[in-house]
Amino acid sequence: MDSVHIALTVLLLPLVSAALIALFLRRRGGAAAAVSMGAVSVLAAGALALATRGGRFEASWEWFRLGDFAFSLGFLYDDLAALMLAIVAVVGFCVHLFSLGYMQDDPAKGRYFGGLSIFMFSMIGIVFADNLFMMFVFWELVGFSSWLLISHWYERPSASDAGKKAFIVNRVGDMGFLLGIILCYWQRGTVNLSELSAQADGGGAVFSRAIPLLLFCGAVGKSAQLPLQVWLPDAMEGPTPVSALIHAATMVAAGIYMLCRIHALMVPDALTAIMWVGTATALYSALCAVNQRDIKKVLAYSTLSQLGYMVAAFGLGSLRAPGSDAAAAAGAGVGAAMFHLTTHAFFKALLFLGSGSVIMGCHHEQDIFRMGGLAGRMKFTFAAFTVGVAAIVGLPFLAGFFSKDAILFLAFSNNKAVFAVLAITAALTAFYMVRLWRLVFFGPARSESAAHAHESGWTLTVPLAILAGLAILGGYTGAYPPVFSGVFSLIPEAEGGARAVILATSLVVLLVGAGTALALYGRKGVQPAGGAVADDRLQRILPRVFSFLVRLRESFDLAYDYYVAKVQQRFALVLNFFDVIVLAGFIVRGMAGVAGLVGLGARALNVGRVNVYVCWMLAGVAVLWILASR
Amino acid sequence: MFPNTINTYLLISALLFAIGFLGVLVRRNTLVIYMCLELMLVASTLALVAFSRFNGSMDGNVFVFFILTVAAAEVAVGLAIIVALFRKRQTLQVDRLDGLRN
Repeated sequence: MDSVHIALTVLLLPLVSAALIALFLRRRGGAAAAVSMGAVSVLAAGALALATRGGRFEASWEWFRLGDFAFSLGFLYDDLAALMLAIVAVVGFCVHLFSLGYMQDDPAKGRYFGGLSIFMFSMIGIVFADNLFMMFVFWELVGFSSWLLISHWYERPSASDAGKKAFIVNRVGDMGFLLGIILCYWQRGTVNLSELSAQADGGGAVFSRAIPLLLFCGAVGKSAQLPLQVWLPDAMEGPTPVSALIHAATMVAAGIYMLCRIHALMVPDALTAIMWVGTATALYSALCAVNQRDIKKVLAYSTLSQLGYMVAAFGLGSLRAPGSDAAAAAGAGVGAAMFHLTTHAFFKALLFLGSGSVIMGCHHEQDIFRMGGLAGRMKFTFAAFTVGVAAIVGLPFLAGFFSKDAILFLAFSNNKAVFAVLAITAALTAFYMVRLWRLVFFGPARSESAAHAHESGWTLTVPLAILAGLAILGGYTGAYPPVFSGVFSLIPEAEGGARAVILATSLVVLLVGAGTALALYGRKGVQPAGGAVADDRLQRILPRVFSFLVRLRESFDLAYDYYVAKVQQRFALVLNFFDVIVLAGFIVRGMAGVAGLVGLGARALNVGRVNVYVCWMLAGVAVLWILASR
Repeated sequence: MFPNTINTYLLISALLFAIGFLGVLVRRNTLVIYMCLELMLVASTLALVAFSRFNGSMDGNVFVFFILTVAAAEVAVGLAIIVALFRKRQTLQVDRLDGLRN
């Protein structure tokens, strides 16, 4: 088998699995889980085999042709795709394995595993896509499977609403993405990625700015950047493994991956905008995470914040420091963003699966103020989760430390304002993660379910172990197989004075954030409430700040609610009136409508009574008389 | 009391025709409607006789004989239909005979 065949297998296997489940195994959850698990295992093996072979290739087939425009499906397997595919395969495998345990008793297991398979297919399609149109097709498929899995428990109105919200908000971003693709094709004559990067900068100043910014809209939707971030926290209504796979490690990272794929199209102005969007998202979401009570919501806002980091890193790559050349500068952004994407995929999937294990152990309790003392009762989950927390807050020698420092260095050498914001964000990250960790695992148990928490089976612990290992090792670029060095060699390396400043900064923010969290939520921080729900210490000490943060979090949803209910709904009513009465009634129906109306009237005459017929006859005679006498 | 002119006869004829037509319109019993129809027929015969008398020709009277013959045949057929209808539906009220609706 050559590489193209392996790639085809990797792409199509989950599709086959999804089709099998959808057609035959919907009612047979066990068989569906086995099929899906088998598919993802082979897929992971294939993806890793493809990577270790070291070959890079391009292949494409024409799908259909419209006039001069040929729509092709193809593979572009370069360094970037190799890394992303490996991440998707490994995290996907872990999540499937975890789901076997987590969804064991779910009545709709077949549908769940079918959804996971169709997601794997769509995601791998995005990774392989060699042109923007193909990427867009799989982009939409990913959105569909995300909707399917968020609203898995559709009996709950909140879950089905969250699914719809995610889908619709993504549509907003995708509109920009599609416009960008069309503009790109119109202006550049091609949407093939390697042809685009080979092209010299084409088009005027307007197009060269508009194309990357419109394409970035797609990433804003999918990676939940400001102002389209509202769907991701709600998406936590889905099952926890789904949150780990889709809404933390892979799908939301697809936006970053897409940006890296098209970085040849970027111009400095567009990159500056991208950088600020990312920075603002990082700070905003970190502020939102500070007062969350739901364990998954904390992780969701933290995901948003880390995605903001990646987007900012990508944007920072443009602003080259004086003296360096443009290609190396753009590469630095890609390298830093992809590096953080990789480590984040590992430790955030670990944290989400860890939270899944906690939630399951506590009998589906998600409020961190009703947990506590789990360190003793769930030792393995505690160890794995601790690794994840240490990795995300940037404890030295763990994954997050290296990737976050690469981004901080990029910010430090390019834009001091962004550097300051990202450093504050890092402190907030340390604060809310340590708060979560402290509240969940230490202190007295604050509810019945937490007091009787227990560790779950091997299907839950093995993925945690794999991901914990990756979260520890993921920061050492030397630990990866040498085939991935294509991307990792782009990572900016701090040297000299900057290195010391970065190191000092990241240690200081870590200590400040973690120290504040431990001081606030330490021994005295949480009331040992017997059954009663403990309240947030921050709310007691700084009520103003607390309510400000709540308002900040709700502001976007309120604004969108207002917009949809008051502006868009009325506009839609007017349009609907126009559509139904004017267009459908008079223009489209036309003669058929008139004939129908006449028929309706004539039918009313036919009442079946002799007397009435006589009356009509009389009327007819009268009419004839009038006509004849004129 | 009434002048012996053609207008008097035509007026009586029109009156009879109108009474017959009104009966067709408002009555519900098929037999009565049938009688009203006959009344309308007779009204037109009266007009024809009057025309014949005042014009001094026999044309109108000839028509009357034809009409009487045809009316006799028509009564035979029509009454037979009404009897058959009554046997089938046990009613002669026209508002119950609405099989044509729907």
